[in-house]
Amino acid sequence: MSGGSTGAGSKTPADFLKSIRGRPVVVKLNSGVDYRGILACLDGYMNIAMEQTEEYVNGQLKNKYGDAFIRGNNVLYISTSKRTMSEGG
Amino acid sequence: MSHNPSHLLPSELIDRCIGSKIWVIMKGDKELVGTLRGFDVYVNMVLEDVTEIEITPEGRRITKLDQILLNGNNIAILVPGGGPEV
Amino acid sequence: MASTGEEDSAVKEPLDLIRLSLDERIYVKLRADRELRGKLHAYDQHLNMILGDVEEVTTTVEIDDETYEEIVRTSKRQIPFLFVRGDGVILVSPPLRTS
Repeated sequence: MSGGSTGAGSKTPADFLKSIRGRPVVVKLNSGVDYRGILACLDGYMNIAMEQTEEYVNGQLKNKYGDAFIRGNNVLYISTSKRTMSEGG
Repeated sequence: MSHNPSHLLPSELIDRCIGSKIWVIMKGDKELVGTLRGFDVYVNMVLEDVTEIEITPEGRRITKLDQILLNGNNIAILVPGGGPEV
Repeated sequence: MASTGEEDSAVKEPLDLIRLSLDERIYVKLRADRELRGKLHAYDQHLNMILGDVEEVTTTVEIDDETYEEIVRTSKRQIPFLFVRGDGVILVSPPLRTS
């Protein structure tokens, strides 16, 4: 639980959060619902502000929001968005 | 005696897992396996090359993820050294 | 708070998104398949909110005993004024901003 950079390739949650601002992310909630969009900002409660947000339920697009605030207590994980099969190439 | 695991604090045990595979069992029907990159006092964890396993009535659903920040709130069990087959 | 020249319209932390939606109509997704659309009058750091002129939509899914088909029902009602307890909130979406 070193606060700073101990080197040794350790990446704390704080480091991760700094590194993903402005990037496309997937936010998964405990309910299983996924949100995909651009991460605008977040805070220590894992409250999240996202842009161009798409809501997926069981893998199906259900809704789009220009901006979205997600309350942190619902968040299971925040993932860097992987350019997967959707992009053929 | 410093090598006896029973003399490790829980947080020291997790710290020793940094850079290695770890198996995370969540409250509820969900498990994740990945390489631990770091964690904080809430045991929020940064994991890399993650396999997410959801146990559903229809069977296991697998999702692969590059890098995630896992909320520590719903973690039940941590197993150093990686998970089930996969 | 006395940091660099801070603009009122800047979103520096997630709650700024809510602050910028004061007096606007917002969409709120709550637990238990409940959705609200209404005008945001006030909020706090827990995301407790006061909404006015609210439309509440609740969605229920039933399984037909014989055909096992899912029957999705939504019901709407109008509520002039209400308080939302923050711990039930999943997502808040402000109106589209033209920036």
